[in-house]
Formats: sequence, structure tokens, C-alpha cells
Amino acid sequence: MAIVEVRDLYKSFSRGTERIEVLMDLNLDVQEGEFVALMGPSGSGKTTLLNLIAGLDGPTDGTITIGGQEISSLSESELARWRTRNVGFVFQFYNLLPVLSAYENVELPLLLLPMSKAERRAQVENALEIVSLSDRMNHRPGQLSGGQCQRVGIARAIVTDPTIIVADEPTGALDSKSADAALDLLNLLRSELGKTIMMVTHDPTAAKCAQRIVHLEKGRLVGQDTITASALSPLEVSR
Amino acid sequence: MTPDFAMGQTAPDVSLMQAAIYAAAGMFGAIFFLTLLACFTLPIFFAAMGSMSLSLKVLQNFPDPIGKYSKLGGLVFRSLRRNLLRTALTYVALFVLTGMLTLIYGVVKSIGKLTAEKEDSQMVIMSDKFSIPSQMPPGYAASLKGVIRAMPPSSQPRPMIDEERSKKGIPASPLGAIRAEELDQLFRDDLDRDEASPNRRRFRALATEGLNENFMTWSFVGASLDPAKFTQENSLFLFALDPNSVKYGMMSEQGLNKEDLGDDNWDEMLRVIDTMNGDRRNIVIGEDRLKTIGKKVGDEVKFYSLNYKDITFECKIVGAFPTGSRMGNSAAMQYDYLDAKLGDYKKTKGEAHPQADRCLNLVWVRMPNKASYQALAAQVNDPSKFNAPAAKMETFSAVIGSFLEPYKDIFWGLKYIVMPAIGVIMCLVIGITITIGVRERWTEMAVMKVLGFQPWQLMGMIVSEAMLIGLFGGMLSTWFVYFVPLMVKNGTRAVGVKFTFFDNTNMPWEIVILGPALGIAVGIIGSALPSWNARKVKVSEVFAQVA
Ligand SMILES: Nc1ncnc2c1ncn2[C@@H]1O[C@H](COP(=O)(O)OP(=O)(O)OP(=O)(O)O)[C@@H](O)[C@H]1O
Ligand SMILES: [Mg+2]
Repeated sequence: MAIVEVRDLYKSFSRGTERIEVLMDLNLDVQEGEFVALMGPSGSGKTTLLNLIAGLDGPTDGTITIGGQEISSLSESELARWRTRNVGFVFQFYNLLPVLSAYENVELPLLLLPMSKAERRAQVENALEIVSLSDRMNHRPGQLSGGQCQRVGIARAIVTDPTIIVADEPTGALDSKSADAALDLLNLLRSELGKTIMMVTHDPTAAKCAQRIVHLEKGRLVGQDTITASALSPLEVSR
Repeated sequence: MTPDFAMGQTAPDVSLMQAAIYAAAGMFGAIFFLTLLACFTLPIFFAAMGSMSLSLKVLQNFPDPIGKYSKLGGLVFRSLRRNLLRTALTYVALFVLTGMLTLIYGVVKSIGKLTAEKEDSQMVIMSDKFSIPSQMPPGYAASLKGVIRAMPPSSQPRPMIDEERSKKGIPASPLGAIRAEELDQLFRDDLDRDEASPNRRRFRALATEGLNENFMTWSFVGASLDPAKFTQENSLFLFALDPNSVKYGMMSEQGLNKEDLGDDNWDEMLRVIDTMNGDRRNIVIGEDRLKTIGKKVGDEVKFYSLNYKDITFECKIVGAFPTGSRMGNSAAMQYDYLDAKLGDYKKTKGEAHPQADRCLNLVWVRMPNKASYQALAAQVNDPSKFNAPAAKMETFSAVIGSFLEPYKDIFWGLKYIVMPAIGVIMCLVIGITITIGVRERWTEMAVMKVLGFQPWQLMGMIVSEAMLIGLFGGMLSTWFVYFVPLMVKNGTRAVGVKFTFFDNTNMPWEIVILGPALGIAVGIIGSALPSWNARKVKVSEVFAQVA
């Protein structure tokens, strides 16, 4: 059974009297441990789809099932609780809280879960270790580079050991070197830790890190590419 | 020349316009002073916030949930620290506004207390019904006493009980022990009517003493140090009275009581009364007036009376009323001395002084209850008893009420317009600050929501920020207004200096609690809207590109 099951999904927004159909008749399955890239022109509904899968908004019609849980039926506060455990969100502009240190930023979602202090500490340190920022954990976002911030962002996304990790243009604000490092990290999460990842990107080379590229156009799925090992980035091949 | 307030008779000679100008000037002064104080307390505010967030840091090491929630609480403090200037300005504004509210509350409250009718003992005043100032023949005092003596026992003023005497430092009565239970037993209408019975005899003695203790006459004497000239710097307004009235609290409304004076000043007052009783020429003058006329305690002075033409007084100043008190600008002399001088005048001139038959200005009586006052007032108003001139009797609070009548609108406005308006402004100040803060952090709010924070948790954080500023603004403001004068008062007293100015700043104690409570309430109300908005932040809208 797929870990993400999107069935007959419709999403529309009404702006005044106008109704904007953003997603139409969309079906998508993502397997556990799969890395899927979402591509498509601007305004095609990529972010909208990602938000729906992350439980940030509800569909107009259709169902979304994540890890066996049908999230379209959850209430807002149930969704919030569900997100903490099941979704790790990586943002384009990192969106760390500027008043908190790297450590505290990563710890923040754990404060919402019932766990002992020691467990929390171990998990935060582990996440920072994975993104190799253990030496920067007391720095504030203002004291870190963009690439480092994004790695903190990724650490925050994985710290709760979520069912899926969603990333909306995670390399969009990074220079190519930092972007490579971030992608490398996402790949590592999949290959070493078996994480399921959905990433929106405009960058074809970034998309090639994924195992599958899903194309979206005007709210509809218009095709998929499965990436063969030969097309994977040199980094991935060497691993 | 005469302080109208003390007379409780004439209409105020300050016009409404002037009063409004004074009030406005006072408010600006208060705002200025409070702003300075607020800036001066800023370090305290930040130190308090700092130590609170520091203790939260310590608490973070505690096991959950304490550790967890103190981490989230720490976030609140960091948000406030983010824009120090904004937080500081909001604090200053709330400090000043709370201070203003407190001062106005103090004024409104003390006026309310002054004009409130007391149910138990009734301070009542007899005066001339038609002329201002009131002038009555001296015989009216004895007549009034006669009327009261003829009233049923339950309506008779009672003597001070021993317990009260020892509390006030007044020696025991020559009538022996006076206890409340005995008074309750004797001052009853079903008391044995036989005049020779021991109960009746004891009652008579106690009632006579009671009437003496609860009865005071005032004669106003204006006097000047210079027979030819009368100026502000050489003149004096004296109450001619029986000094013992002060002991029994008959001048309580003029501030001469243990509570208003403080223990030390009250004991000093009792000593001065005893000294005054030693010689009828002894007088007591308020410290402020002493300064104005350039005299001091111990001086012998000669006064030329203004309203009692051709009468001079040779007096010795044996004491002073504290500066700033309601008697600080007035003076007191013995009625006996005035009476003797009027007698001398008649002897030497062969005829009575023209004022001799009008030398009683007011009579004060403290009746045991409202019913007895009403019964007495009915008799005083009866033209068959007092008719040349006609007299009237009112409660002190009613007199004050009519004195304050022209200002009623101002007090009403203070209470129902200015005070609520200040409250609303406080809410707006907090509301604006928090709104700006929330707008700045709009994306952060959305991120926290993405991470799984519940809407009410975000709301709680924002409301806590507002409550913290409100709490400190309200607390430090009222605590400074209340405790600083108190500390100066006790501190200076401890080193033997007297700052009497502070002796008379009696703010109601409840402001110590009301201030912080108000701050918290204002914080909650002011942040209601912005926190509600934060609660409703739509994550999908923040992160989707809404083109
Ligand atoms: N909350 C909303 N209210 C109204 N319209 C919305 C809302 N969110 C998205 N839209 C509309 O839906 C469409 C798809 O938006 P979306 O953000 O999903 O596009 P996208 O594929 O992520 O684009 P980009 O590549 O530029 O990020 C757009 O036309 C947008 O205006
Ligand atoms: Mg997008």
C-alpha cells in the first residue's frame, strides 16, 4: 500500500464571486521510501498540492490518505496534532524563528510531543548531527549562512521522525553549492533512513535527484518520469 | 480670608473655569512627573523581565511539563526583547496612563468617602439658616445642649469608651471605667425613669460627659499682626474653640485624627492640647501659616482682630499643625479667651461689643445615629425654638456635598468619562503594539502552525506578551505611587526628619492590587483582536503564491 494516496482530488479557491479551480481530478500514489519531485509551471498548483498533502488545508473534493490515515476528515486541531508527528516541512526561505538558536529551532516541534527531556535532547542532537551542524547548535539563524539555515530547516523537518517530508522549492533560495549540499542531504535521508520525500522544484537538475518526477500543469497531472540510476546525480551514484 | 472649606458654608470662590484650569494644569504636571518616573523605572522593568526570563531558563532544566512550558514561555520574553524600543515605549505609556488613572481614582474615592452618609455616628452642624457666613448668638450653644439633653436616652451622644481612650492615648475618665456593654445597657429608652435610681444617676453623668465630648463650637477670628495693615503675610485665621474637642475627634474631619496625622503627630497633638489648656492665651498655628507670617513655636505675638473690631489678643504660640494638613494654614485659639476679651470690652466701653451677640459661627455635634440626628434636626428647624436668627442643622457630608455641588459635573466627568477613556487608550496602546508585533511575525506564526502549534497556543503566547507589559506597567506605576511616599515617610521618620508633604498623600491601599490587575485586564482586552487574527492565520495562504 502506498504511503501517500491521493484520490480524485479537487481544490478550488473562491475569490469574491470568482472560483479558481487549482487542482482537478488528481490521483497520485507515493510509495514508502520514495523520493518524488513535483514540477510544473508557476501557478500550476504545486504548492497547493503539497499543502494539501501536508494537511495545511483541506481539499474541496476527493481524499488524501497518508500512512493509512485519511487526513481530509480531520478537524483543524486534529490536523495540527497529526502534522507534528507525520509531516516534516522544509521551506524555501527556511522560516526559522530568529529569536531561537539552531538547537531550539529544531527542538520546537518536539515540545508539542510527550517525550522526556533526555529523549528530546538525543533526538535534536541526532538531527543536527545528520545535517552536520552539531558545532553550530547555539547559533541563531542570523549567525548562519543560507545553506546552514536550510540544513537547520531540514533537521527541524526530520526531528520528529515524520511519515513524510515535504519540501517546497528547498533549493530555491540557495546558491548552487549549498543547493547541492541540501539535495545531497535529502537523498541521504531517503537512502540511509528510508524517508519518503516530496519536493517541489523548478530546477531540472534538482529534480533529477528524485526517483520520480511528476509533472503538473493547470492543476492536472500531465506525466511522470522515472529516473534511472544512470540519470541520478554523480553524488548519488558514487554512494 | 476664611477657608471656605472649613466653614462649610459659603459657596466656593474659585470659579468653575479656574477649577478646570487647575485640574488641567494638575493633569499635565502629573503626566510629566509620571513620564519621568516611568523612564526612571525602565531599568527596573527590564531587570524584572530579565530575571523572569532567567528563572524560566532555570525552570527549563526541570522535568516536563514544567521544563517544556518554560521553554515556550521563554519564547514570549524573547519576542518582547526583539524590539526593545517598542516594548519600552509601550511600558512607559501604560505606566503613565495607569498612574493617571490611579491618581484620579484616589481623588474620586476620597471625595466619595467625604460625601458618603455614615449610618452609625452622624457628624452634624448647626448654623444660621439664612446668613453667610453663619452668625448666631452664643446662647444657642447652651440651648442646643438643652434640646439634646431632653431627648430620649438612646438618642444621647455617648462618652468615649475606655478601649477607645487607651487606643487614642486619652486618660481614663473621672467617671470610672466606661465600657460599651454598660453604655448599651443605660442608653436605652426603657431605662428606669426614677431620677434617684442609681442607673438613672449613672446615665445622667455619662450623658453629660458624652455631650461634652461630642459637642464643639466654632467662632471664627480673623486677625492681623499689624493694626494698620492687613496682608496675606501678616494675617491669621483662627478657630476659637475648646481645645479638648480635638482630643475627642471633633476636628477629625479637618484632619486632626490619629489616622491622618500618624501616631507621632497625634501624640504630639495631645501634648499640645494639654499645654494649650494651661493658659487660655495659648494658641496653635499651622506650620505653613507660621512660615508665611515669619513666626515660630514659642513666640509671643500680638494680634489685632479684623472681624472683632478694637479687640487685640496677646498670645503665645505653643504648637503647630503639620504642614500640608488641612489645618496647615489655619490656627486655633481658646473660645474662653475670645469670650473674656468680649467681657473686658463691655467692662471698659460700658456696652457690649457689636459682634458679641453674633460670635457663635457653627456648632458641631456628633449624634449616635441617623434617627437621633433627624429628631434633633426637626427641633433645630422648629422656629419656636431657634428664631432670632433661624437655625438649620445638616450632616457634615450634606454640607460638603453642597459645597462640592458646582464641581459635581467635573467629578462625574472624571469618573465616567476620563477614567474609562484612559482605560480605552490603554487598550489601544497595547493593541497597536501587539498588532504591529503580530504583523511582523505573520510568517513565523504560520510556521509554528505548520509545526503543529494549536491556534489557542499561538493566541496564548500573544496574549501573554500583552499581559506581561500590562502587568509591569500597571504594577510598577501603582506601586511607585503608593509605596514611595510611604517609604519616604517611614524612612525619614526613622532618621528623625519629617517630610510632612508625604504624610498627607494617602492613596487607597487597594491600588496596589488594582494596578497590576488592570494591567493584565488591559493586556487581555488590547491583544484580543491581534491574537484572534494570529489564531486564524491561514497557513496555505501565507505559503502559496497568491498571484
Ligand atoms: N489561498 C488562496 N486563495 C486564492 N487563490 C489561491 C490560494 N492559494 C493558491 N491560489 C491560486 O492557486 C493557483 C496555484 O497556486 P500555487 O501556489 O499552488 O502555484 P505553484 O505551482 O506553487 O506556483 P509557483 O511555482 O509560482 O510557486 C494560483 O493561481 C494561485 O493564485
Ligand atoms: Mg509554489
